[in-house]
Amino acid sequence: MKSHILLLAAAILAGPAFAQDAPKGDAAKGEKLFMADGCWQCHGVGGNGAALTGPKLSQTALPFEAFLHQLRRPAAEMAPYEAAIVPDSAAADIYAFLKSRPASPDLKDLPLLQGMGVK
Amino acid sequence: MEKPRLDRRGFLKGAAVAGGATIAVEAPALAQTTPAQPKAPGPSAAQMAAETEHPGEGEHLTTEKTGSDFMVDVCKTLNIDFMAACPGSTFRGFQESFINYGKNTKPEWLTCMHEEVSVGMAHGYAKVAGKPMAAMVHGTVGTQHAAMAIYNAWCDRVPIIMFTASAGPVEDRRPGIEWFHSVQDGAATVRDFTKWDDYPWSLQSFAESTVRAYQLATAQPQAPVLITADGKLQEMELSKAANAQLSIPKLNHPTQASADPDALKDLAKMLVAAENPVIFADRYARSQKGMDDLVKLAEALQAPVIDQQNRMNMPTTHYLCQSSRGGPLLAQSDFVLSLEPQDIYGTLNKMTDQLERKTGSKIKKTTKVASIGTHDLMVKANYQDFQRYNATDLQITADPEASMPWLIEAVLREVGDRKSAFDARGEKMRAAYKNFANNARKAGALQWDSSPIGGARLFAELWEVVKNEDWAFVTPNAYSGNWQHKLWPMEKHYQYIGSSGGSGVGYEPVGALGAALAHKQAGGRLPIAVIGDGNFNMAPHTMWTAAHHSIPYLAIIQNNRAYHQEVMHIQRMANRHNRGVESGVIGTTMTDPNIDYARLAEGYGAVGIGPITDPKDLNAAFKKGVAAVKAGQPVLIDVVMQPRG
Ligand code: HEC
Repeated sequence: MKSHILLLAAAILAGPAFAQDAPKGDAAKGEKLFMADGCWQCHGVGGNGAALTGPKLSQTALPFEAFLHQLRRPAAEMAPYEAAIVPDSAAADIYAFLKSRPASPDLKDLPLLQGMGVK
Repeated sequence: MEKPRLDRRGFLKGAAVAGGATIAVEAPALAQTTPAQPKAPGPSAAQMAAETEHPGEGEHLTTEKTGSDFMVDVCKTLNIDFMAACPGSTFRGFQESFINYGKNTKPEWLTCMHEEVSVGMAHGYAKVAGKPMAAMVHGTVGTQHAAMAIYNAWCDRVPIIMFTASAGPVEDRRPGIEWFHSVQDGAATVRDFTKWDDYPWSLQSFAESTVRAYQLATAQPQAPVLITADGKLQEMELSKAANAQLSIPKLNHPTQASADPDALKDLAKMLVAAENPVIFADRYARSQKGMDDLVKLAEALQAPVIDQQNRMNMPTTHYLCQSSRGGPLLAQSDFVLSLEPQDIYGTLNKMTDQLERKTGSKIKKTTKVASIGTHDLMVKANYQDFQRYNATDLQITADPEASMPWLIEAVLREVGDRKSAFDARGEKMRAAYKNFANNARKAGALQWDSSPIGGARLFAELWEVVKNEDWAFVTPNAYSGNWQHKLWPMEKHYQYIGSSGGSGVGYEPVGALGAALAHKQAGGRLPIAVIGDGNFNMAPHTMWTAAHHSIPYLAIIQNNRAYHQEVMHIQRMANRHNRGVESGVIGTTMTDPNIDYARLAEGYGAVGIGPITDPKDLNAAFKKGVAAVKAGQPVLIDVVMQPRG
């Protein structure tokens, strides 16, 4: 994933199209769009990821431009979302929703998970 | 039971009272040519005709022995424990002989509610029991029902002894149904994915073909075989004299083909010379010994093993089990050894699922590739399960499990002064291994509190309840996150049995049922199935077969209320076509109404628990479920889960 982000960063620097500010999104709308547009299918309901299908998105550290770029020109397997079906404003709403997600619990507070199986 | 003659008298007496209406019901064929006589007193023409067709006193109507009894004698020599079947009239003689003449033991008859279950449970059973069981399927329609399960077992290289039947020669077929269920070449429907079949035309031939079929099924590469039991042969009288002339060939268990010693020597040299070898184990281990030997080979080389999880190949507790690092290890490898591969191309290459499909190699151009496998011994032309061709540097056509002791010996002979380099490699592997469990736990924390419930939470809660049991998974659990391979100590061969083979949906409930049966036979084990809801809906009545035959197991429904793989496929198409991006759920989801799986299970006589939507309720559900399984019951727990775990 790191290499994707580096590539994205390079693309952002290179292209004027990416040099815009992140539009202000609406997290409540974004939550609905995250479901309606099918992001949940691969990234999980709540956006915390699934090993087989898509990485964690909640509290994404990506800048909006990189986020948008992943939608338009996915790094590898993700299905592309063109502006015709997820406009920039909708992407901004989804981004706001993901940014607003609460943190996952800390591993040290999960004795059951620490205790599972192989040491 | 009353004798037929008494029935006849009774019938005529009743007819005299009831008149023509009774005749029309009892003898429809005759009524076509003989108009019913309204309200005529006494027997009608049809009744008279029927009367005159009754056999005379000299004709005998029963017999003490038929061909099907001999067929049972043949099956009993194979040491088969179970015969699974959904009833079908083409094998009525055979079935009656099994349950009465054969006393319903060895094999014991199991009642299934679909031929896909009969065959699919035999698939799961063989992978745990290490020997095949049998399935019987109705002529024509039963074979058609069974086809997908046969295909799965074929792709998965699993032996099943299957029987079908046909009603016999034309002059002996009753009009109508017996014709629909008769076929010249019953195996043709499934010949593309069976190893061998035969339609024996004599009882002697039935004996020889059945024993041959068993041997072929169990020789590597293993696969289903199909024998057609002709209806006339089943139902014909078998005199003492004729029976005495028949003989059943002795069953010899074939040894498996071991590799050419020179080729193994070459392979050992290549493995020892390699700086970064990687061993891939696909359908490699058939037994605990296979697993133990793979550990020995890996240790001799201090080489990492990637378990492709189509069998239980490598203990997850061993530091050389590096399955979660397959990609990076392949990228830096200079030598790859693949054990019983089904798809070397797919292991070494990738292809994206975009409008333009791009391929790329996962290995360097200079990396050498070798394989030991039986794949090429059983390739057919039509179905494409043989996968894309991939050239190798050394291809050894042999059974890798049988060859492994010789390969280890050859490697040990070659090691020499490479020992210190191997030890250094081993240290690197130990260091990498230390991170695996912690990384997996970190990933598991992400969905810890989520509802729908995440896979890591499910497996952690489950572990807490079953950790002191002799547990074994009877389903592949990739869609629920494969947490058992990431975090459970999987050290025994029977703890995991791989997947469906052909990705035919419906394998999970049926394979689980058969595997659970084998675990029951082994005694004291706790079989666990994590079954997708789409998969379960192909055969929910497996719960009835389990209840009826007292086959205990814990079936957890990974309920994402969808055929989720298809949800993602449709979404991908909608995205690609720039339209309908919000309607990917049409035709792929199972909501409105939601299905109540616990009630369904209870309806079939199993224990039903759930739906569980709050992860905090998992502990109580698992405790209750495990207690019931230990008391001998099949249990279903419906857990509403994330689309993927
Ligand atoms: C068909 C599955 C699928 C769907 C649907 C999907 N994604 Fe993805 N997504 C992936 C995969 C797989 C990746 C990993 C990179 C790749 O393969 O392109 C990914 C990566 C990402 C990343 C990059 C994450 C990172 O940290 O690098 C973002 C952002 C993202 N997806 C957002 C979305 C949003 C927003 C939606 C819905 C509008 C969505 N995805 C729908 C599969 C999917």
